[in-house]
Formats: sequence, structure tokens, C-alpha cells
Amino acid sequence: MSRFFTASDSSSEESSEEELYSEEEEEHSEEESEEESEEESEEESSSGDETGANRFLRDVSESEESDDEDRVTQLKSAKDKRYEELEGTIRLIENAERINDWVVISNEFDKLNRQIPALIKQNDGKTPKLYIKAIADLETTMLETIEKQKVTPKKMNAINQKGLNAVRQRIRKNNRDYADDIEAYRKNKDEFMREEIVEEVAEKAKKPKRQLLDPGEAITAADDEGFTMVGAGGRAVQFTPESILKHIRGIMEARGRKNQDRLEHIRTLEKLFDVAVNDYQKIRVLLTLISTRFDLTSGTGSQMSQEQWKLAENEFSQLLKILEGTKDIVVIENAEEWEDDDKLPTITPGEIFRIPGSVVSFVERLDDELTRSLQHIDPHTAEYVDRLTDEGSLYTTLVRASVYVESLKHNPRLDQSQESVNRVVMRRLEHVYFKPSQVVTILESNTWKAIPSGLDSQITPRAIANDTASLVQTLCTYLFKNSEGIIRARAMLCQVYFLALHDQYYRARDMMLMSHLQETISNFDVNTQILFNRALVQVGLCAFRAGLVYEAQTSLQEICGSNRQKELLAQGLQMQRFSQISPEQERLERQRQLPFHMHINLELLECVYLTCSMLLEIPLLAQIGSSPDIRKRVISKTYRRLLEYHERQIFTGPPENTRDHVMQASKALSAGEWKKSAEFINSIKIWDLMANSAKIKEMLSAQIQEEGLRTYLFTYAPFYDTLSIATLASMFELPERKVSAVVSKMISHEELAAALDQVNEAIIFRKGVELSRLQSLALSLSDKASGLIEANEKTLEQRTQGTANAFERQGGQGGRGGRGGRGRGGGPRGPGRTGGGRNQQFTGGALGRAIQA
Amino acid sequence: MADSTSDGVPGIAEQYNLLPKLIPNLDRHLIYPLLNFSSDEDAEHPLEQKKLLLELLKPTNMTDFVGQLYQEIHNLSDMPEEYKKKRDQVLKRRDQLEEETSKISGLLDDESVVTNLRSDKVQNLAYLKENHGVTVEMVNQLYEFGSFQYSCGVYPHASELLYRFRVLSTDNDKVAEANWGKLSSEILSVNWEAAMEEINKIKENIDTRLFNNPLAQLHHRTWLIHWSLFPLFNFDGARDTLTEMFFSPAYINTIQTNCPWILRYLAAAVIAGRNRGRNSSQYQKQLKDLVRIVRQEGYEYSDPVTDFIKALYIDFDFEEAQKKLGETEEILKNDFFLLGTADAFVDSARHLISESYCKIHQRIDIKDLSTRLGLSQDEGEKWIVNLIRDTRVDAKIDYQAGTVVMNHPPQSVYQQVIERTKGGFFRTQVLSAAVAK
Repeated sequence: MSRFFTASDSSSEESSEEELYSEEEEEHSEEESEEESEEESEEESSSGDETGANRFLRDVSESEESDDEDRVTQLKSAKDKRYEELEGTIRLIENAERINDWVVISNEFDKLNRQIPALIKQNDGKTPKLYIKAIADLETTMLETIEKQKVTPKKMNAINQKGLNAVRQRIRKNNRDYADDIEAYRKNKDEFMREEIVEEVAEKAKKPKRQLLDPGEAITAADDEGFTMVGAGGRAVQFTPESILKHIRGIMEARGRKNQDRLEHIRTLEKLFDVAVNDYQKIRVLLTLISTRFDLTSGTGSQMSQEQWKLAENEFSQLLKILEGTKDIVVIENAEEWEDDDKLPTITPGEIFRIPGSVVSFVERLDDELTRSLQHIDPHTAEYVDRLTDEGSLYTTLVRASVYVESLKHNPRLDQSQESVNRVVMRRLEHVYFKPSQVVTILESNTWKAIPSGLDSQITPRAIANDTASLVQTLCTYLFKNSEGIIRARAMLCQVYFLALHDQYYRARDMMLMSHLQETISNFDVNTQILFNRALVQVGLCAFRAGLVYEAQTSLQEICGSNRQKELLAQGLQMQRFSQISPEQERLERQRQLPFHMHINLELLECVYLTCSMLLEIPLLAQIGSSPDIRKRVISKTYRRLLEYHERQIFTGPPENTRDHVMQASKALSAGEWKKSAEFINSIKIWDLMANSAKIKEMLSAQIQEEGLRTYLFTYAPFYDTLSIATLASMFELPERKVSAVVSKMISHEELAAALDQVNEAIIFRKGVELSRLQSLALSLSDKASGLIEANEKTLEQRTQGTANAFERQGGQGGRGGRGGRGRGGGPRGPGRTGGGRNQQFTGGALGRAIQA
Repeated sequence: MADSTSDGVPGIAEQYNLLPKLIPNLDRHLIYPLLNFSSDEDAEHPLEQKKLLLELLKPTNMTDFVGQLYQEIHNLSDMPEEYKKKRDQVLKRRDQLEEETSKISGLLDDESVVTNLRSDKVQNLAYLKENHGVTVEMVNQLYEFGSFQYSCGVYPHASELLYRFRVLSTDNDKVAEANWGKLSSEILSVNWEAAMEEINKIKENIDTRLFNNPLAQLHHRTWLIHWSLFPLFNFDGARDTLTEMFFSPAYINTIQTNCPWILRYLAAAVIAGRNRGRNSSQYQKQLKDLVRIVRQEGYEYSDPVTDFIKALYIDFDFEEAQKKLGETEEILKNDFFLLGTADAFVDSARHLISESYCKIHQRIDIKDLSTRLGLSQDEGEKWIVNLIRDTRVDAKIDYQAGTVVMNHPPQSVYQQVIERTKGGFFRTQVLSAAVAK
């Protein structure tokens, strides 16, 4: 052996042919060792199949063990030198092990690892046994040392300790790659080393022939098998169906590391997809490819470029197509990973082969990316519209994914959880709930056209695709049945929103109340709270369209009265003067923003809210205006503030914006000039945004007429003794019957101290009902006293949990309607419905507490 | 509404016919009187009706009757063969069941045995088993026989059998079913007091046994509400209890959720019950609740009865109320349940109209009011005099001008303060006593 060592320097000169070749080889290996990329090594090792194998291996083993064989070709080349280096390093490590010098080991181990890729390459993909032996032994020693460390109190010195730890970490990582070989070595050390020799002998006979063929062989072989590409360094990078899995593994392992050229990976994967021959490979490549594309834009700030998104979307539908085609392979989340890269798993028809991965997460990610990019594009540009068209294809993909996931769910052998179906159905719902049904119908029909006709969903069969209302209903019902918690709540809210959007006020309201979400919404996450706010606002708008001013006002109150509409509906950041929000919070908030096409028009919202407030507040103000000491009831603080501000102005010009219009209308209304008021309101341009705006204006005029009459009566009652109904009717252009009905109502509710005279068709106002200041104070005192007693009773009742019901409250005290919220409602409608007509308020709207938090 | 204008009044009754809504919630046997009702007026059963009845009763064991119906419909001289055969089968089955239950029935008829029974069911069964060889199967036979007899239309006997079964059985589900059977039997044998007992039993059962299943609760309550319409309008003693039950939160929720049409009956029961008012504050409260619910459910259900309430109490549109009252009368007269209360209803409704009218008006033309109430002027005057006397309104009739002048003294401030603070002292005392406890 020693002979070869000494001769190693001169050996390269001995054979010119070999020389040439080895130099070439050297170049290769140098480049590659520089790159030191795992990918490359993987690739090389896998591409080095049996055709060109063991050409040099013989030399290796020769130099190690056998010196009596084939002396003719005794050569020393660069590769042999490398082997010697390797041996030297290993020896150093062994020595250091003996003296327990881990600093040296650590250094040498590094060196060893630097040498090894080149050697592997030379060796045509075989890891030198020597190396395996070394690292296996090293690991054993290391473990022993660590064990010893634990028992002996004596400490290693700090540097040594550090070295040990470094080695430990590196060895763990390193040895994983060679786990199989190490295993084999550990099982039977002698056999492992000997095996090689046997192989060697068998190989020998063919050897000369092979050497002749050699230069062209690699290339032709590669050509035969598919694809050759000239890599960056001018060397051939080969993609063959067999090597696909190795490539994928390489890329998967590089995932998440820094300084990776992901675009390069993507290109590689695209090539791999082209060479992939069977479904399993294709699926694997696509899975990796899609996730690599998503990796391109990790981090919260950036969004995926449209191009990449489209590609990903495209690939995803390819993936689905393959999956739909093969019933034997499924992609599910809880599958075992296939560990063996060298050989393909055998897929037996009839058996289901599982590949780890998640279709649902992909489609969710696609959805998220689209939303994110929509958030960033200026909504008033053509680009936004352009991008928005992608939603159609995304929706198709979503539906297709849902069909797939559903089919997985229905396969009893897979035991899939309900959750993934719920997630994808929820996503789908979130794409339709805010759209008018015409739009959804178009979307749905396009979608089903794009999906192969063989596929159908059980949740939403193709047949009902045209019937949008029932589509949303079906999706929601499915989620009610099969999910719980947040998804269920969200489904409910989506349905409420959809119903409200389509003018089904009562159904929407009943659902909103029956969901009992207003009590629990503050425990949900911010996005759900936003959805709740949106649904609430939509219910309010719906009530307004139906002419239910009171209901509209109460449901809008919480959101619009807060002055933080933008924030609460996630439709833009609100500049807040006094609160400081950190950049972190702002970033989070930006993420939550809804894309523009989902927005609820804020100006319209404000207009509706202010108009409703006006219709309720002006008569109220007139009512309490005449008797200053009645409890001051404020319906809308925002409106009051605006009104006050408006009244303070010395000069009022013609109205410019919505607010001005409403304010001037309010002023006219309170002066009894209903016509002028109606004119102001109807000249607001934004009504045109509502469907059926003519009808809404008509409704508003009618409301203004009626409220104007009421306001007039409240305001001017003290100045009249009698008032003819006919006069009132002509003043407000209402039928007499309507006027007397309104007056009767006011009298009956004791809002107006008057009586009707049927003979003369007139209202007779009672005199002497004006209270002195003392009297009204006495009244309010008595009110407060009884209120106090009631509060005390209630407290006691709560404390004693109703056991001490010594006092049944006498019926009909005060104006408290019916059996308030105390009904132990058994039915599903619960207290929300029992609690009296005027108690039906939507409370507990999700104020952005969490936003602040 | 086009219907009602062309056909006149029967159109309204037809339009607001609740039968299709009621039927799903009733038992076959209970539907029979409903279907039969409208034909009472005409002497001849129309063919359609008979067919309906035939379809209705086919699955029952009342073979004689069904056969007869069939015969009539198809103008056959004799009963068809299949019915005869079925009749024989039924008779045979009855004999068999009778035989099987004879022993236990005999035992229960035996005075000496019955005296030995206690309230504990398990013990009773054990006792009978020991001393007389009664088995659980025999008890269940009682149930079988009971339901068979019910199906045959022999209601009193069925009720008796089910009662006996219930005394002995420990199977809760079957007992619950027996309850329903017994209720139905009692209703059909016009035994109202027993029916009321059953209703209470079932009500308790629903509250306790189905505690965990809100949906089943809802269904059972819906049924119970429908079934109890029979005693509600046919048995005076039941009215107060049942109205109260209907107004209790659980049941009013059921009505609102599942069967808003019951509001018609509830409204009729409340309004017609005005004169029986021993307890006027309760009446006021019920009326208030009714108005509230009618308003809430206005979008879901309306018929002339609820419209009347809406016009009178929500819109204060007296002309509309008057119009609706006319329609209401027609409806009531064509309703199986409400026929008996129609007059009382109209009378009370008039009272309500005039009461509310007087409250709002100061001077009323008698002639006008009379037409409003659908009375002649003399009748109207009498009516008003009665009203003034009954309700002690401060009003005078100006005979010359033909008007009534109401005097509404404004409630003085002092009075108001006194009213409000009246109970304060007492309540505070109770409170402090409760705290001291």
C-alpha cells in the first residue's frame, strides 16, 4: 500500500489517456466542490446509474485493500490523491478521538465533509465506504462521550465542549443523508466493507470494453432517457424520470433556507414536470412546484406577482386534473412520506396510495394571495379590474377543489376529517355572499362550464347552479350541519349578509337574532367581528330599503354612531388624532382590509344613517322641546352633534355634500316645511346608487310627510286651541283618514294632550297640561325613585338567584314593554324575540376592541 | 282579494281557510270533525268531500264507515268485497286482543286487586306479577288494544285501556304515546275535563322529558297547541288555563316560530273572553301581549282577525277596523273552532272599538258611531248608554245635537306623583326585610 502512496505524485503522468480524462474529471469536481450544493450532489448521485458505474471504484478499493489485482492499470490520479487525503483526515480524527480532543475533531470533520462531495462525484455517486465507516464511528464515539459527560462530574474545558457540541450538531445533520449506509455498516461491519470487493470482481470483466465506450456513453445514455441540459458551468444537468424524486427532495430540503435561488428551483421543477412520466411523479412535482411558487413571496409585506399567481393557479388545476383522473392516488394531509427516493412506490390499482399534501391549503393560499394583491392595487385603475378577472378562475378552482375534497371525504377508506371540506366550502361561500345574485349566477354558470362535466358536487349539485339564493342557502346549511365554532358563525353571518343584500329583511333579522351572535361576537377573532359588522350594516341598509326607519337606525347605530366606520368595516385606515398605533398594529390592520370590490359604500351608509336619525330625532326634539325637563333621550349622538354644529353656523350656503343636505332637510323638517325637507333629501345624488331609487325617494317623502306632521303637532300644539284636521291634511298633503290616524295614535300613546272632535273634524287641545318647573321636577324625582327601587329589587334578585322572590313586580309599571329580556325563552327564538317590539336592538356590535389590543 | 270581490263574502272565508295548515299537526281522527264541519250546513255531502273523508279514514280501522263511504261515492249497492274482508280481519283482531287482555282487564276490574295498588308503578307491577301472574307483555297488550280501539273509533274504551296501561307501564316512551292517545280519545269522546288533565300531563312531559331536544320540544308543543284548540273553544273551563298556556314564553315562541296562524285563535279567544273578565288587569295584559305579537308577526302572517287588531291598536284606523270586523265575522262563522265564539267576539270587538274611540275623541256623533259599529241609531244610542254605564266613562249625551261629549280630565300632576310613589314604601320595606333575612 505504501508504494502507492509514495508514487501518488508521479502517477498522473503515466497514462496520457487517463491523464486527460482525470483532468477533465478534476475540473468537474472542482467546480462542484466549489458550489457545494446539495442539490447537485443529489442529482449526480442519482443520475449516476449502473451504466457508467464503478469505473474508478476499482482503483479505490485497489489502493485500499488489494494490491495484487490488475496491476496493469495501476495509476495514481487526482482522485487517488483525494482518497489519500480522506484517509489522512480520518486518521487524524481517530487520533483525536483517542485523546478526546474535540476541537481537532470538529475541524477535521469539517474538512472531511468538504472533501467528500468531490469524492462522491468521482465515485459515480457512491459514497466511499471509508467515509461511512468514519462518520459512523465518529457518531458512536461522540455519543459515548456525551454519555460519559453526563455521569462524570469533571467538566471538559470550554473550547473542547464547544467543539463537541458543534460536531454533535453537524454530525446529526450530516449522518441523516447517509443513514442507510451507516445502518448497513453498523449491522455488519465486515460484510459492508467486503461487499465492495465482491462487486469489484464482478465488474472487472466488463471493464476494458466500457472504457472504450466511455466518452460518448454518458451523453447517449442521457439522451435516450429524455433530456439533457447544459448547466451553468457547461456541464450536463440531467433530468430523468428516475431522478425526479431526488431533485424534489433536494429542493424540499433547501426550502426555507436563505440565499436560495427559488426561481432556479422553479425552472428545474418545470423541467422535471416535463419529464415526469407517471402520475405519481407528476403529482409530486406539482406539489413541490406550487409550494415553491408560494415561497417566492414569503413575508407579510409582499404579494405574489400576477404572473406567478397565474402559473400557480394553472398548475394547481393541472394537479386537480391529474388527481381527478387517478383514483388510486390521493393527496391528503395525514399521509406518510415516501422515504425512498430511488425507487418509485408501487401503486397497485384498487389500493389507495396516499401522498402528503393539502389541496385545501393550496387553494386557500391562492385565494389569500389574490386578496392580498387586490389590497395593494389602486382600485380605480384598470389594473384592479384586470386582476379582479382572475377571481373567476380562482372560483372555478375553488369549486373544483371542493369537489375533490368532498370526494375524499366520501371515501370511507380515507377517514378524512370534516374540517377540510368545511374550510373549502367556507372559502367558496366567502366568494359569493357579498355579490348580487345576478353576478353569482354568471360566476356559477361559468364555473360549471369550466369544470369537466363528469364532476359533480354533492353539497351543491350542478343542477342548482342557476339558483343563486339556494346556492348560498345550501352552502350555509351544509356548514351549519357540519361545522362549529367560528366557521359556523361565519356561515351564519354570510347568510345574513346575503339575505339582507337581497331585501329579505325579516329573514335576515330573524337569523341575526337567532344566531345570538351579538352576545358572543366579542370573543371571536377580528375578521369575524368585521364580518359581523358588515352583516349588521347590511341588515340596516336592508331595513331602510324596506322603509323600516326605526329598525334601520338601530342596526346602523352601533357602527355609524361610533365614527369609526372605516375601521370597523375594514375599509380603509382611519386617521386617529389621539390614539397612537404602533407600526405593527397598522400593518396588521392593513392586512385585514377588504379588497375594494367587497366594500360597502360608506357615503351611502352615512347618508342612510343620518336620514334615519333625522326622521327619528326631529319629532323627538320637537316633543321634548316643549317641555324642557323630560328625560332627555338621545337617539343618535353623532346626528345631534352634527345638528348642533350646523346650527352654530352663521351663514349656511346651499348644501354641498350629503351631510349638508341632511342637515338642511332636518332644519326644514323641524320648521314644519316638509316639502322643502323632502326636496333636500331627494336631491342627494347618492340615492341613485341604490336599486330602485325612485321608490326609495317616494318612501322617504312619505316618511317625511308623516314625521313632519308629528313634528308640527309637537311644536305648535301649545299655540293652538283647536286645529282642523282638514287643514292639517291639506298642509301635509295627506288624506284626512291618515291624519286622524296619526293624531289618534299620538293621543293614545299620550304624546299629545288632546282629543278629537268627531263632529267638527278637529283636534281640541287640552289646556292646563303645561307643567310648572317644580311639577316637572317632582315628576322626574318620583320617576327616579321608582327606578331606584326597581334597580334594588333586581340586584337582590340576582344576588339571591331569584330565590327571594318576595316581591313580584306589580304589572304595568312604567313604560317597560312586556316581559323584558327575562323570558327564559325555551324556543329557539329566545329572548331576542320575546323582548318587546322596541327592545329589539342589535347590541354588542364588535367594536374594534381587538383592533386596539 | 279579487276572489273576495267576485264571490262576495264566502271568498274571504275560503281565502283564509286554515285547514291545510292545521291538518299536518292533527291526528287523523281529529281532522275528521274539521272536514265534516263545513258540510254540516249543506244537507248533502258533496262528492269531493266524501272522497276526502275516504282518503282520510282509509288507514283507520273504521271499516264499516269507510266501506259505506266508498259505496256512496261509487254508487254501489253493496259494500265492496275488500272492505268486508277487512272488516272481518278487524273483528278477528279485536277478538284476539280482547282475549289477550281479558285477564288483566278482569284483574283491574276486580275491586280487591285495585285496592292493593299503590302509587309506585314498579311495586304495582311486581305485586300483580306475584299474585296474579301479570307480565310486562300483558301490560303492553293493553296499549296495543287501546290503540286498536282508537283506530276503530271506539274512543271511550280506548281511553279506558290507555289509562290502565299508563297506570301499570314503566316504559316512558310508550306512556308518552299513551298520553297523546288518551288526549285524543278524550277530545273525541267530548270529555273535556279529562282532556284538560291530559293536556297538562303532556305539557309537563314536554318540559321535563324532552329537555335536551329543542326541536322535538318545538314539534310536540306545536301539536299540543293544535290539539288543545278543541277544548279551548268547546269547554269554558279550559279557556283561561289554555290562553295562559299559549301566552307563556315557551308556547308563544312556538306559535311565533312554527305556527303563526294560531294567532287567529288566540286573538279570538282573548277578545271574546272580554266579558268573562273577573280579572280585567290580566285581560289588559293579554291584550297588550297579543297586540305586540300581532305586530311582530305581521310580516309572516295576517288574516282579517289579526288585521283587525292591527287596525285598531297599531294604526288607530277605525274605518279599517270596522271593515275588518265585518270580514272577521264571516271568517269566524266558517271556522270549525270559532263558530261558537263568533257572536261573543263581535260583541267584544265592538266594545273595544268604542272604548278606544271614546278614549281619543271628545265629541262623537252618535249616528256616526252607530254606523261604525254596524248598528242602527237607536241601537247605537242604547249601546253608548250601556257603555257609559259599564265603563264609567265621564260622558254625556247631547240629545239635541245627537252627540256624545266625552270629558277627559287630564291626570293631575299630583295624582301622577302619588301614583308613581304609591308602592315605594311598601316595596322598600319588603326589600329591607329580604336583605335582613
